[in-house]
Amino acid sequence: MAPGPFEGELIRLRAHEPEDVDRAFTWLNDPEVRQFLGRQYPFSRKDVTERLLPAPSFASALFAIVRKEDGLLIGDCGLFGASPENRGASLGIQIGDKTCWEGGYGTDAMRVVCRFGFETMNLHRIDLHVLAWNERAIHVYEKVGFHREAVCRDAMFRFGKYYDILVMGLLRGELR
Amino acid sequence: MIPTRSSMEGRLVRLRAREPQDEAAFHVWFNDYAVTEFLAIRYPVSHLAERSMLDSEPALRHERAMFSVETLGDGVLIGNCELRVPGAENRCGNVGIAIGHTGYRDRGYGTDTMRTLSRFGFTMMNLHRIELTVDATNARARHVYRTVGFVEEGLLRDHRFISGAYRDTVVMSILRNEFQEDPL
Repeated sequence: MAPGPFEGELIRLRAHEPEDVDRAFTWLNDPEVRQFLGRQYPFSRKDVTERLLPAPSFASALFAIVRKEDGLLIGDCGLFGASPENRGASLGIQIGDKTCWEGGYGTDAMRVVCRFGFETMNLHRIDLHVLAWNERAIHVYEKVGFHREAVCRDAMFRFGKYYDILVMGLLRGELR
Repeated sequence: MIPTRSSMEGRLVRLRAREPQDEAAFHVWFNDYAVTEFLAIRYPVSHLAERSMLDSEPALRHERAMFSVETLGDGVLIGNCELRVPGAENRCGNVGIAIGHTGYRDRGYGTDTMRTLSRFGFTMMNLHRIELTVDATNARARHVYRTVGFVEEGLLRDHRFISGAYRDTVVMSILRNEFQEDPL
């Protein structure tokens, strides 16, 4: 069987199941994970359920990232707010399992979800917002082909101060 | 840069959003067999049904962009048209069109409406393909679609049962790179 659009080298993407909520709830409230996310407030179990379980669609395609070797849920990623006219969407990704922060899982998931965006959703552009100090993430995004497009100064306030947000973009044909 | 010509206007017609006051004309057209013979409308339509459809009309969007057609000069309501896009991924729109006002048949208004609608689909909705089906006996409509650049792709045999007999349906389409602007 040919590898489907959800298969990477190390990970594959699938829809979320109710059994995923507990694990996601744990890391979404872990300060070490949350420092990279654009949210000030803690997540309730209901927040997490409502975020993960809607069926992926063109308008909002969120996937579970699972490790291929053992099927372990390690994070999530998705494409949101796709405009059918502009054929653009915004990407979000997190590797919640801290033991998988190094090792290429995030890079692999980025390539699979972007390829899905271009080849299955027929997008022309994918963009993302990242905290400007998150060099490890920015390195991954540049490695797969994203360009630094704009710095939104003081765009996020938390922990008593403002942070810059970097907007990065990837056009069809630029994915590496 | 904004083009000088409105994206909603052709040489003879203008497309606009549908309004509740269009109801009276729609009620006449869609109870007239000369119009409905070639459409998917089979049963009589009440004022109530037309009104509630127009009152509950959602804002124009990519999934379904429905327009009233009026003449450019004097704003006479002459028909309606729509593009339905069932899946954003395929970027394929499905045309519905009716020139209901019998005084505006065979004078190029249908052709201009199809051109304007197709241009809107390709240049504003970012479609790749526009398709339609037409009653094989509807020679006037098939001529209009061919004039605009639609290609006949196939024949669905005995596809519709109308007035006691089966009729064939022709499948037609135009791809984005085939569409020719009408030079003004």
